[in-house]
Amino acid sequence: MGNSEHLASVMVERFISAVERGVDVVPVVSDSTSTAKIGPFEDKYPGRLVNVGIAEQVLVGTAAGLALGGKVAVTCNAAPFLVSRANEQVKVDVCYNNTNVKLFGLNAGASYGPLASTHHSIDDISVMRGFGNIEIYAPGSPEQCRQITDYAIEKEGPVYIRLDGKALPELFAEDYVFEPGKIDVLKTGRDILFIAMGSTLHEAVDAANQLEGHGVAAGVLGLSSIRPCDTDKLAEYLSAYCQVFTVEEHNVNGGAGSLVSEVIAENAIASQLTRLGIADGEYAIAADRVSMRHHHQLDAASLVNKALKKLSR
Amino acid sequence: MNPYNLSIEDLEQRANNIRKKIIVLNSQSPAGGHTGADLSQVEILTALYFRILNCSPERLQHSDRDIYIQSKGHAAGGYYCVLAEAGYFPEDWLPTYQHPDSKLPGHPVKQKTPGVELNTGALGHGLPVAVGLAIAAKKNNNPRKIYALTGDGELAEGSNWEAALVAAHYGLDNLVIINDKNRLQLAGYTKDILSTDPLSEKWRAFGMDVCECDGNSMADVVQTIEGLKANKKPNVVIANTTKGAGISFMADRPEWHHRVPKGDEISLALEELSHG
Repeated sequence: MGNSEHLASVMVERFISAVERGVDVVPVVSDSTSTAKIGPFEDKYPGRLVNVGIAEQVLVGTAAGLALGGKVAVTCNAAPFLVSRANEQVKVDVCYNNTNVKLFGLNAGASYGPLASTHHSIDDISVMRGFGNIEIYAPGSPEQCRQITDYAIEKEGPVYIRLDGKALPELFAEDYVFEPGKIDVLKTGRDILFIAMGSTLHEAVDAANQLEGHGVAAGVLGLSSIRPCDTDKLAEYLSAYCQVFTVEEHNVNGGAGSLVSEVIAENAIASQLTRLGIADGEYAIAADRVSMRHHHQLDAASLVNKALKKLSR
Repeated sequence: MNPYNLSIEDLEQRANNIRKKIIVLNSQSPAGGHTGADLSQVEILTALYFRILNCSPERLQHSDRDIYIQSKGHAAGGYYCVLAEAGYFPEDWLPTYQHPDSKLPGHPVKQKTPGVELNTGALGHGLPVAVGLAIAAKKNNNPRKIYALTGDGELAEGSNWEAALVAAHYGLDNLVIINDKNRLQLAGYTKDILSTDPLSEKWRAFGMDVCECDGNSMADVVQTIEGLKANKKPNVVIANTTKGAGISFMADRPEWHHRVPKGDEISLALEELSHG
């Protein structure tokens, strides 16, 4: 477990690295330079970044045009404004036109906490899954973010990367290697399974560690690669458990919980699934992360309680 | 360099051929069409594809080719007739317009139709993408020009004005925005639904160099576009056109937004054009 890092800072570090090795990366921001923590890039490559002002439709349209003009266009702004305000530009200019644009949804989920629901993005994975050809990732740690960003920059075509807004510690071993579609196995306990997306992976690992003290061996899978997703492998993992929890800072509809329920149903797996996230019909509350996750029962303590209850211990 | 580089007289002849194609293409469509909008843009597209654009079917992969974006994607039928006339795909594709599995769908799809640079149909998408292309060209020291054609009703989409702000801020004088101002849209006259006037003043206020022309006069269209100057400002050409131009019973008639000619209307329209 290394020092905590902001995923946006990791993203910017990889942009710099890409330009250093000759990749024609052009970041596009909508007055979101501080959100993107992109100062070091601007310092190193003045004039390369394009700032379109507070205007998300033209942010995404411009990125698509830059890509058609030969650039690797990377948009960097707050996820809620990217996904909701520029929804049709993402659909048409990026996905339908299959342009070489990488969309970084910053401060996703309820990272903005007390700033309330206009600034929360608890529907982004659901929306992106509705567009046929965009790859979707939600890194859960700095190293995973590093490798996913490198991959996205080299990958031709649309990619959406959901980034959490808080500094996160490392979760993965030093020899971790990201692969598109891969399901990450963080713990292998066989009593109960947590499948977590993005930053909630930390809550799931924490809960699994606490459950050991109760004599419960919990497995933890990281679902950072939403599309592609190795659903055959996921089905294989799911088949070994009677009780499965999905954990995500996202609406329970359309995100990790939906993906896992589809795999369970389509493979006729006899597991009971509990989808933890922002419940159907609710918004995330306006509060700091600890309070918000406790309220929505996404914190490690809530996961422990729910697991013990399911196992009747 | 344009491979045709036609005279005004030859361009007018091509425009007449294209209008005939538009009538026949729409009459064979199983799913309606946008005959009026197809016809209003004919002089603009003919001037671009047969004289102005530095592009040809053989140069579609060349990174210095000029780019044309059909932001008013609903006028795909007319766009296809121009592309076919210019040799981007075989003429015998035209009767398949909007048929199942056709390479010519109801809105332009670049994966299906050679010459199409951008999938459009939802309005207000062409200008933001054109802005990105123009910025990329500036960054690459690429001499290409980016042309984008919008309708006038389409200008109600706010994304156009976001794009205008960015285009002016970045001094994109390699960008030419052409408004096919045919004064009609789906539900009637633009002035009654949501007026865009005074349009020249709006564009100027946004920082553009603005010209107006008679968009159905070939000489005026050519002279206006060829007279544009690169002076650190994006160019806007307001082409004052008539929806349904060239066919007396379609001209300036709202119902021809989405109608296609049927029965005697086909021969009547072709007969009018035979005198052109």
